[in-house]
Amino acid sequence: MTTESQTPELSYDKPLPPVLELTKPFWDGCREGILQIQFCNICDLSWFPPAEACPRCLQDDWEWRPISGHGTVWSWIRMWQKYFPGWSPDEYPYTVALIKLEEGPYMYSTLVGIDDADVSCDLAVEVDFRKVNDEITLPVFRPATT
Amino acid sequence: MSNQPDRSALGNLQDKTAIVGVGTTEFGAIYRDLDPERSAYELGLIAFREALKDAGLKRTDVDGVIVSRLPHYGRMCEMIGLRHPRFVNVLPGEGRQSGIALQYAALAVANGMADVVACIYGNNGRSAGAKYGGESRGISTQAMFEAPYGMTSPGAVTSMMFRRHQYRYGTTTEPLGHLAISNRANAALNPNAVMQRPITMDDYHGARYIAEPLCLLDYCLINDGGVCFIVTSAERARDLKHTPVLIHATSQASDITPVYVADDFWHEPMSQIADDLFANSEAQRDDLAFAQLYDNFTPTMLFTLEGMGFCEPGEGGDWITPERIGLHGEMPLNTGGGHTSESYMQGWALHVEAVRQLRQECGDRQVDDAQYGLYACAAPLATGHILKRDN
Repeated sequence: MTTESQTPELSYDKPLPPVLELTKPFWDGCREGILQIQFCNICDLSWFPPAEACPRCLQDDWEWRPISGHGTVWSWIRMWQKYFPGWSPDEYPYTVALIKLEEGPYMYSTLVGIDDADVSCDLAVEVDFRKVNDEITLPVFRPATT
Repeated sequence: MSNQPDRSALGNLQDKTAIVGVGTTEFGAIYRDLDPERSAYELGLIAFREALKDAGLKRTDVDGVIVSRLPHYGRMCEMIGLRHPRFVNVLPGEGRQSGIALQYAALAVANGMADVVACIYGNNGRSAGAKYGGESRGISTQAMFEAPYGMTSPGAVTSMMFRRHQYRYGTTTEPLGHLAISNRANAALNPNAVMQRPITMDDYHGARYIAEPLCLLDYCLINDGGVCFIVTSAERARDLKHTPVLIHATSQASDITPVYVADDFWHEPMSQIADDLFANSEAQRDDLAFAQLYDNFTPTMLFTLEGMGFCEPGEGGDWITPERIGLHGEMPLNTGGGHTSESYMQGWALHVEAVRQLRQECGDRQVDDAQYGLYACAAPLATGHILKRDN
């Protein structure tokens, strides 16, 4: 094990998502730089967060498919309240955005590569990835370049 | 929406049942007196005792119990010596459930499932250290897909919605300030309110951000307390102590999404509820003496006013003026001080305030000509009622 892979793990104490059998493909994809969500093989509906069956067909005939990674900022906030350990004092206020994915579902995330002063609702964004540890890479969003 | 249901049968409940007793604990006094041993059941018990006394009923007259935020009906029934209730239900400790508790009580009484239903709520959140944010355990959507970004708390999602409203309609935070200031002014006339010192627009704009654009004064309090209301038939109510407050019209609608927020600020469910209420009442908006609007955070009131047609979507910011929403304005709002100043009883104390206003018991904060009053809660699961003072 190299020092590079250990260091972020040791210093990272923000909440980490538990990985379930259901959600493992999502995190496997993120690690490889692919954002994917579930699609129903019967009716083609897509949804997020993950669920055991298509909310329209109620069948479990679905698969993970890569999505465009494009979306818009539905809205965003700056969090000042210290609810969680793990954010250092100089990280406040931090930005949380609610992304409306091009495919329809919404996803909470954060924004990178942009100053808060330049953020606006309906800003076009595209996915990027931030490695946290060997298991978890978080999808984040930056202003769209394409 | 496809397959529009026939909602006219909602009118079958009109004036069949009444709230005949209301009770609360002290709010202000216990706010300053944290007690780690204070249980939600104890607070529920105190409120129940007050409500029974208010109604002039005996403990043994009660044959139905609905509890909320209390983990188990059994302990509550045991503590109030109710061994053989014939109608019992438990609702989670979410604010949207207070209106639903009243609906279940009315349905049970109107259909003979019980004669007298006590709806009991107890909240020891302040003493227990509740933060309403920062949870990241377990395998919830919150833990998996929100907490890793530091996304947490009902206030933050409401702030997301308000920012969107600002973007879409140019709304400023000024009207939120008016709501917070008005709530506080009403609370100053309410001896039981937790926060009684009046605030100004400068105080509002100077308050620290929690989830920007919302600040501390947009937020509900976190305090301990208990509330109870007792429901029986309108017929029986007329033999009791007080003028009955009739459950005149009531409705429920919803917009349940994975991310809590609604792109239309809950216009669809709230307008559905308004349509239901006014279709089943001789009263219209102008006949309402007040509106008790769920105010976990001030923007929720703005969304409710727009959704229920007090103004057009996007015009809430202009509609909310101190003159209009004050105690002697055209639509007094949250006359007891609401969740931001009276007490955060998750809608339960708003119901009590509605009853007391309709019974003309509110002293310095009494509104004029209180014959009809509105309660409404905008949320993914939304409710509204028109309550009416019996003639």
